Amino acid sequence: MAAVAASAGWLLRLRAAGADGPWRRLCGAGLPRGFLQSASAYGAAAQRRQVAHFTFQPDPEPVEYGQTQKMNLFQAVTSALDNSLAKDPTAVIFGEDVAFGGVFRCTVGLRDKYGKDRVFNTPLCEQGIVGFGIGIAVTGATAIAEIQFADYIFPAFDQIVNEAAKYRYRSGDLFNCGSLTIRSPWGCVGHGALYHSQSPEAFFAHCPGIKVVVPRSPFQAKGLLLSCIEDKNPCIFFEPKILYRAAVEQVPVEPYNIPLSQAEVIREGSDVTLVAWGTQVHVIREVAAMAQEKLGVSCEVIDLRTILPWDVDTVCKEECFLNLEAPISRVCGYDTPFPHIFEPFYIPDKWKCYDALRKMINY
Amino acid sequence: MAVAAAAARVWRPSRGLGRAGLPLLRLLGARGLARSHTHRWQQQRHFSSLDDKPQFPGASAEFIDKLEFIQPNVISGIPIYRVMDRQGQIINPSEDPHLPQEKVLKFYKSMTLLNTMDRILYESQRQGRISFYMTNYGEEGTHVGSAAALDDTDLVFGQYREAGVLMYRDYPLELFMAQCYGNVSDLGKGRQMPVHYGCRERHFVTISSPLATQIPQAVGAAYAAKRANANRVVICYFGEGAASEGDAHAGFNFAATLECPIIFFCRNNGYAISTPTSEQYRGDGIAARGPGYGILSIRVDGNDVFAVYNATKEARRRAVAENQPFLIEAMTYRIGHHSTSDDSSAYRSVDEVNYWDKQDHPISRLRHHLQSRGWWDDEQEKAWRKQSRKKVMEAFEQAERKLKPNPNLIFSDVYQEMPAQLRKQQESLARHLQTYGEHYPLDHFEKQVPPNTLRSQAVLEACSARLLHWAGSLVSPFSTLSYTVFSQGLGEGTSGTGHP
Repeated sequence: MAAVAASAGWLLRLRAAGADGPWRRLCGAGLPRGFLQSASAYGAAAQRRQVAHFTFQPDPEPVEYGQTQKMNLFQAVTSALDNSLAKDPTAVIFGEDVAFGGVFRCTVGLRDKYGKDRVFNTPLCEQGIVGFGIGIAVTGATAIAEIQFADYIFPAFDQIVNEAAKYRYRSGDLFNCGSLTIRSPWGCVGHGALYHSQSPEAFFAHCPGIKVVVPRSPFQAKGLLLSCIEDKNPCIFFEPKILYRAAVEQVPVEPYNIPLSQAEVIREGSDVTLVAWGTQVHVIREVAAMAQEKLGVSCEVIDLRTILPWDVDTVCKEECFLNLEAPISRVCGYDTPFPHIFEPFYIPDKWKCYDALRKMINY
Repeated sequence: MAVAAAAARVWRPSRGLGRAGLPLLRLLGARGLARSHTHRWQQQRHFSSLDDKPQFPGASAEFIDKLEFIQPNVISGIPIYRVMDRQGQIINPSEDPHLPQEKVLKFYKSMTLLNTMDRILYESQRQGRISFYMTNYGEEGTHVGSAAALDDTDLVFGQYREAGVLMYRDYPLELFMAQCYGNVSDLGKGRQMPVHYGCRERHFVTISSPLATQIPQAVGAAYAAKRANANRVVICYFGEGAASEGDAHAGFNFAATLECPIIFFCRNNGYAISTPTSEQYRGDGIAARGPGYGILSIRVDGNDVFAVYNATKEARRRAVAENQPFLIEAMTYRIGHHSTSDDSSAYRSVDEVNYWDKQDHPISRLRHHLQSRGWWDDEQEKAWRKQSRKKVMEAFEQAERKLKPNPNLIFSDVYQEMPAQLRKQQESLARHLQTYGEHYPLDHFEKQVPPNTLRSQAVLEACSARLLHWAGSLVSPFSTLSYTVFSQGLGEGTSGTGHP
């Protein structure tokens, strides 16, 4: 399970910064001058790597949780983990490469602060990581497991679905693994292709016994992650990797909780309801603004936040079927694996969402 | 090979030529290399040079210049440790654990009581009284010998053929039966198939059907025990078939790299349902895999309860003292069918089964040993057979008569708290049964609670859950409330007999 490809963007930059002599010589003087011509020299055929398909909108600075600090999403995650390890002496963090700080820097500084028995690498084995985490949780200690990319969660599917989700139920509540949280980078990132872009929450969405959570921002991420860690049920926390650095806002330094299984209406509206989670929330926010401006349509925007168990009451009721004036429209990727170069065409960007909305209004 | 060695000498910065290496190599030129190369070929001995050690981070080994594949040693595998011969006589007196009579009698009674219970419950499935059963015939020694070598509070993760461990820990017959019948007394609340036992008090984690999933879990539990300084070992049982699963590989590797106090106990009983070991692996069983992970390993005669005891005892002592895993492969034979869904005459001969039943059975070997010591005789045997059968029959009849639990228990424990959606589904079933109840076997189940009472029950549950949560937050993390599975403070303790 090579994680090198997608993280290469970050890692190569890190390596170049601290490079040794021979490596630098090869990169620099070794190649003929002008070998790497500027992209514009190739004319129209040359394309820049794409710009993001969304614009992150930070929420207003929260006031009710005390002092805040500017954090991006991975820093918010680090802050949540820091708070957890400080509060709960049984808490441990483990997974591939978490010791040096993690391939997305979510665990930077934690091993130095809390010790190598609490923040440690495991062998490269997702089924082992989750199984091991379940075992820790069975004893009552807090286990925070990292799966390096959500695309690699599948070897652990059996442990999650057949074991973690069912532990309490099948034992008649004699045993449980409620203190297990699995966190994993999630979703498209521009160049991740089949194996560094996946959003696999749907595979878990119908598995009773686990909770599945996806935050849209740093502030949401810290509060929801803390809630997952403290929740008495095994939780999967998917972190939109494209937001790790792109999303920056004021986040409280102290711990705080955002409740699970509660969707958030982030824009009131009366004509159409738009529901999304993670990165897509920012796409549909923009679609709502476009709809208002171009079509005079008032859109309600809901961030689902918890996929399972989801907040049925906020989003819709079974009875609402008769109140709908148009069929529900799902705008998502195509039923193909996630392609690399075609990402701009694959993702449910604002134009596709807008078009679906326009068709819905004209139904 | 020699060229590689010379190259290694040049590129390694800390020894040999260092920075001067590259220019020096240029000076020597191709001829210089060729000369040294020829010289080595002319030497008729192994190349060994003190200043030319491998530097690879991945292995701590010497170079070799002879091409040789390591032969897996399957003709004569890892030897099998035993204490008694097949007639129950101690072979090497220094290996006799010198256990007191009382303890050895407990071994014998646990194994035979299990055997009796197996016969009766197997038969009850045949008669349609329970849906499914798995016997432990022939493997009683592996259960009891190992269980006896542990502390009462050592955590046990099993596969499904370890009922003798629970029997040794005095799990009452009533509760074995309750789980098999899924009646109101079942601690598991009727949710699982028979033989999926669990007992928090006796530190036996509930069995689950997927194979080998318990292995990495046991490792995690052992890691937590190490962190808590619990001085506890975790033991993890599995069969030689389950050892083929990826989870087994994962568990072994994690236990070794993370230095966990765990005993991996493999019951190699010759078959995984119909699959013989010749189709399960091609190496020297499971014990030979241990060293591949850096795990201390041993193979024992699983039908020799003292051998199993000695190996487990020593493994436990060292696992806790040294925080490292141990692997015990207990060779035995599955005398019974895989389960009540299996007829093993389809894939093995009756003669083969009879050999093990008559010539090498853990119960008879121990009985011969007891008799030769004067600790048991035919009269006691006859009396105990009658008594144990009576105990089992009594528990059996009681279990048969009890009701099944309230169908409301379909909906609880999915999460710690019941989500609103499940509450609605629970009410929906209650309403459905009010109208269509005649089509359901309600007479065998504890009475249903009316739908509106469920709602007030929910309010009560929510309040008590909040109270518990608040109470829990007042207690320090290292109290008995966390690491609860390792504390001795919970429940009534494990020393009582638990059954009449």
